[in-house]
Amino acid sequence: MRTRRDPRAERQAKLVPGTARPRFLVGAAPAGFANAGAATGPTGRPRRDPRASRAAAVVRTAPRLRLDWTNKGQASLAIGTAQAAAAVKAAVRVIEEPAFLVLAVLDQPGGAPSDHDRQLIAGARLLADAGGGAVVAVTVEGVSGLGEAGADRLLALPADLAEGYEPERHAAAVLAAIETLKPRHVLFAESADGGADLARRVAAALGERLFAGVEALSPDRASRRARGGAAEMARAPARLMSVAADALPPHEGTVHEARTIPAPAFEAERRIGAVRPLAVDPDLIPLTETDFILSAGNGVTDWEGFAELARVLGATRGGSRVVCDEGHLPRERQVGASGSLVRAGCYVAYGIAGAPQHLQGITEVKRVVAINTDLHAEMIKRADLAIVADAQEVMPALIRHALERRAERQGKERRNA
Amino acid sequence: MLKVAVLLSIGRHPASGRPRRAPLDARALELALRLPGAEIHAVHAGDPAEPVLRDYLGMGLDRLTVLEIPAGSDPVPALVAHLKALSPDLILAGRCAEGGEDSGMLPYLVAQGLGAALLPDVADLSAGEGTATLTQALPRGRRRQAEARFPLVVSVHPAAPEPRQSAFARARRGLVEAVAASAPQDGFIGECEIRPWRPRPKRLRLAAGGSALERLKAATETKSGQGQVLVRPTADEAARAIYEYLVEQRVIGTS
Repeated sequence: MRTRRDPRAERQAKLVPGTARPRFLVGAAPAGFANAGAATGPTGRPRRDPRASRAAAVVRTAPRLRLDWTNKGQASLAIGTAQAAAAVKAAVRVIEEPAFLVLAVLDQPGGAPSDHDRQLIAGARLLADAGGGAVVAVTVEGVSGLGEAGADRLLALPADLAEGYEPERHAAAVLAAIETLKPRHVLFAESADGGADLARRVAAALGERLFAGVEALSPDRASRRARGGAAEMARAPARLMSVAADALPPHEGTVHEARTIPAPAFEAERRIGAVRPLAVDPDLIPLTETDFILSAGNGVTDWEGFAELARVLGATRGGSRVVCDEGHLPRERQVGASGSLVRAGCYVAYGIAGAPQHLQGITEVKRVVAINTDLHAEMIKRADLAIVADAQEVMPALIRHALERRAERQGKERRNA
Repeated sequence: MLKVAVLLSIGRHPASGRPRRAPLDARALELALRLPGAEIHAVHAGDPAEPVLRDYLGMGLDRLTVLEIPAGSDPVPALVAHLKALSPDLILAGRCAEGGEDSGMLPYLVAQGLGAALLPDVADLSAGEGTATLTQALPRGRRRQAEARFPLVVSVHPAAPEPRQSAFARARRGLVEAVAASAPQDGFIGECEIRPWRPRPKRLRLAAGGSALERLKAATETKSGQGQVLVRPTADEAARAIYEYLVEQRVIGTS
């Protein structure tokens, strides 16, 4: 015995009154749902307003309409109105009562957040946003700008942790933070600046498994390289993970409040001492590792002067293919497509015109100084500071200037002491 | 006498996938062999019949202890129990194995199990009375020196000295001593989905904001500098400009 259904009556019961065209709420409407302008539809999903999103995508209307769908929130910025910029800046997203916490333990080589740290916060943001959580950035005192990077809370550890090398104290501080906050996930930076070491110390002390060097992360899946790089291991995101560099894009769009929360007290046994940096001859550091390269091209003829200049400036010597072919520098000092691809912070191109193959070798370099006789050389275009002059004539002046400045500095130090 | 334990593992050749002497563990053994007057105990946890272990013997070891555990089990409890009985001053291991999970956790777990201090990324070391002086390799070619008390676990960096070649006769003569050990099965790897690695496309750093034309330019053009151009300055002016720029960018220290 089944009751007989009357589909017409059921349909009539779902009719929304008061509209010109008949409208039916076919899904299960929540109690009290009536107005058509609500933020969520009858099924509870957010209601889209196609007219508004189209209006937001308008870049300009004259001379002809242009829409930009790629960058939805920021299209208004492109118009260049100051009000629009201020409105975007003022919208700080606040998460008052998070469902859970995700810790991002920043690496901060030299005390300032690196690109890797921003990617780390973006990874934590990804995990937190999937379930209404908040991101806590574990940083050191006196760091700013993490709200733009996507951090909801800041837990500032004492500033001396970033300056000295005290891995045991640093690990104890992070352990105390995990103990008090009880986060769902903890993300570390898999970097040689100390993040990889810290992650493993914390994992060993907690007796938990570390999912190290994550290369791809989504709210329900994390994967990393294993078996000597031959295999990919994937699973649901673990509690402790360290994220490889350049695996995730940095956070964009929203600004978060970055509210400071108190750091818990901690203490650690100190078993590593007498830490000091060692002086290393910069010329012996491999080109791929070094931070400052002085590179010679066809414009250099005085090779002893070039070596002296590198010594005076404290740079590693490199050269173009022509120079290495002629035997003025050994082959391992060649920069370019057929030599080393360098990632130095500063590259001084001394008499190098900039063949495409050479420019390929320095794509990752942050700052380039070029000295060349040709104003229209490619290297001059690439450079942040370009000097159109004969490299060989500038060399003795630069050596003299560097020596004078160094003597000045040492004299000042002596007076201060 | 200084008692040194070296933890050795089996590597995996990146191209052929064949077992090989793990390069970082070989460097750890090389550092131990260079310590004057040290009593070296080499330990491996795994299969004693593995022929690659002879390569370590050929570097100058008389014997090598193998804790016999089945493949796919956790070597840490067996190693910790063995090292507790041995109580070495210094334990050397490569910072990351190759061919297994490659998490680099083993030195840390051993140090935790023994209650020893740990120093990572060591490129060189010398031992004194009760302490060791170690040189750590840092990124960008920098080095740092530190001291630590024994017992100490050290993980070895690729910048450590090249390992010596394995001598065939010594490799034949050396003794592989198998010791029965118990090891729990490692369930974690079974939980993971494992498949061959496929290189991912490199992530482009796309500029946000600006007009579509500006973003297209940023994505397609090679990065060109925005700095100043000095045309035909005198040599002194040029030298001053270069030096000031280097100081301003903190490439040359001002102190």
